[in-house]
Amino acid sequence: MNLMTPEQTTIVKAAKDFTAQHIIPAAAEYDKSGAFHAFLLEAAKPSKIFGMAIPKSFGGLEYSPLTQALVLEEWGYGCCGMATTLAASILSMESVMLAGTDAQKKQFYTPMLNGKIGAFGLTEPSAGSDVGGGKTTAVKTAEGYTINGSKCWITNGGIAQVFIIFAQTDPKAGVKGISAFIVERGTPGFTVGQEEDKLGLRSSNTVFLSLHEVKIPATALLGKEGDGMKIAMQTLDLARPAIGALAVGLAQRALDECVAHMHQRFPAKPFPGQALQFKLADMRIQIEAARQVLHHMMALREAGLPFSEESAMSKTYATDVAMNVATSAMRLMGSAGYTSVVGKLMRDAKVMQIYEGTNQIQRLVVARAVLARPKVAAPTEKAMAK
Amino acid sequence: MSTSLTENLNRIHTSATAFGEEFLEPIAADLDRTAKFPRALIAELARQQLLVLPVTADAGMVAHVETLRTLAQSCPAVACILNNHALTAHAISKWGSAALKKTLLAQLAQGETLGALAIHESGPSLGLGPDALTATIAAGKITLNGTKTFVRNAGVADIYVGVARHAAAPGAASSVFFIAHAKTAGISIGAPYPTMGLRGCPVADVTFKNVVLDESSLLGTAETGNAILAELLGAASLGEAALTVGIGAIAAKHAAAASRHRVQFGHPIVTLQAIQQLLAEIATDSHLAWLGIRHAAQLADAGAPFAVEAAMVKSFLGRFSQKMLVDAIQVEGGMGICEVVPPHFQGTLPLARLFRDIAGTTLLDAPDDFPEALVAASL
Repeated sequence: MNLMTPEQTTIVKAAKDFTAQHIIPAAAEYDKSGAFHAFLLEAAKPSKIFGMAIPKSFGGLEYSPLTQALVLEEWGYGCCGMATTLAASILSMESVMLAGTDAQKKQFYTPMLNGKIGAFGLTEPSAGSDVGGGKTTAVKTAEGYTINGSKCWITNGGIAQVFIIFAQTDPKAGVKGISAFIVERGTPGFTVGQEEDKLGLRSSNTVFLSLHEVKIPATALLGKEGDGMKIAMQTLDLARPAIGALAVGLAQRALDECVAHMHQRFPAKPFPGQALQFKLADMRIQIEAARQVLHHMMALREAGLPFSEESAMSKTYATDVAMNVATSAMRLMGSAGYTSVVGKLMRDAKVMQIYEGTNQIQRLVVARAVLARPKVAAPTEKAMAK
Repeated sequence: MSTSLTENLNRIHTSATAFGEEFLEPIAADLDRTAKFPRALIAELARQQLLVLPVTADAGMVAHVETLRTLAQSCPAVACILNNHALTAHAISKWGSAALKKTLLAQLAQGETLGALAIHESGPSLGLGPDALTATIAAGKITLNGTKTFVRNAGVADIYVGVARHAAAPGAASSVFFIAHAKTAGISIGAPYPTMGLRGCPVADVTFKNVVLDESSLLGTAETGNAILAELLGAASLGEAALTVGIGAIAAKHAAAASRHRVQFGHPIVTLQAIQQLLAEIATDSHLAWLGIRHAAQLADAGAPFAVEAAMVKSFLGRFSQKMLVDAIQVEGGMGICEVVPPHFQGTLPLARLFRDIAGTTLLDAPDDFPEALVAASL
């Protein structure tokens, strides 16, 4: 159970209702077809919930980070594929929030408040975990910039109205030569490739983007030239907990499905054997720990404290827990799990351990932070005696 | 292991490897997509003499699990079909009447008759649910009523080897095994289950409504039913475990190859310790489980009890099976989750399919199926 303000309680109730009404009934069908769920954007439009991260001054809801996490958990409970569409839109917004001018914010937020979505174009065929290995270039011209290159695994790429595209403005400078740009759909030379057919998050749109002589105005530059890597990393710090929140929702769903199956299969036996009870307890312990790591991270963020390490911890732990809990649920349910929604939860969780920075990259972040700390000597017996 | 057995095993391994490469690898992805039962392959498996290895002279359970492990590296769904089929032959050979053996074993070996095991039920335990299959035996006839669930090869099989609760044996559940032709009046097949993986192997419920069989269709007796059940479940789980380790081994190989090609931070990622660790753990888990499987199969071939060893394998793989594919995909990253090879990539991408397949190879039969109980009791 979460400690929530009355406002949060109302918001979570609305998110639960939205999930039950719009997401859960449609999840299986869209998982199967992999089609884009345009209806969901329409259904959510009146509530402006997709603008929950947008400041009130721009017409958004300006939910606190923790409140956003609570909403995302509910969406993730319903379907992480659909929820990824919504969460990835927030990801691209964060870049603008961090580095955009008021005019850029207006340009980016307005479509979003009208049920359109955004996308974040960082990854390239040669640059996945190694973000600095990108080959997309942006050359300065008299009118602005000309972008050439390609992007892959771009969530929402096929359906987004506005994109944040990262490109090298100074290829010799490596990661310090990366800059971020706002690129609108339909700009000549900007083409969207075939949609990927994925193991999980199947209803989330993932595409390859090609940029050939894409001309954009100078006002499309986000921040300064060379700020790109910083913007990307800070954006991901802000966005990773969103994946953690979806993963907590997914794990909770797996446990609930498993318990429901137990009750159905053992109607006369509310307490099955200890082996089973303890596995259920382990699932619950892991879910709650993942949720609290996430909420703690959001509290740090709200307090204006550093949260980069906690952000990496939260994404890694929550998605690993989602994978473990979904697998345990499948194991406990046996053949019934294999033919149920739990299979989808496993497939979705697998993708979540990879996107938004693989869990290996997150571990590098955490290990660097651990090793960078000043050495602390263990107290000696003598010191303890004092 | 005797020299001749090793030679036989080598021959069978070579034959299964060639079969997998020639017949299974080209169709595995399509089979997964269409879920259309690969009927034509049954005749090919017969030609290679791989259909009934557990009951073949000079072969046996070791040869059977070796074949399954090998075929699973090309297409786990076909290996799953084969396991179910071969174990019906095993049951008939071991517990069937001379007449049953005479008519059925040759047909099963030739693939003219396809077999299926009908064991599981939807109740909390076998014989306890509202749909439990019950057998009434009277005047030389067996009457069956109830439903078997998650029957593999359901709908395509010609014969079902099933187990029913003997209605006249109250108290401790007593089971009887029987063999029923698919066309027997009163047998109906439910809609196929939409399974996550192993999609070439159909799975459905088989319902028996006032199905009357001759008493000669019994395998063993009412007294031996529980022992047959334990042995058959043990053998089936060894076969499934062989699929698991085959999938794990091929996934490790594929991920290792990908990690040698994938350059990040200026080097192939296989040079990173974190990647080496993931790859090594998959290969280690798969290999150690295989040793356990082969040992249990050797015991079975020697006529020794092997249920505890089979339960150990099941317990071990319960912890490691899915992890093998979770980690193999992690090594391949975005490419690892592709169901279809994207246009900007050259090569094969089977891990997404294998992730779904492996989930189906180590399923417990019921939530209270707890292999650790047997292991603990043996100590």
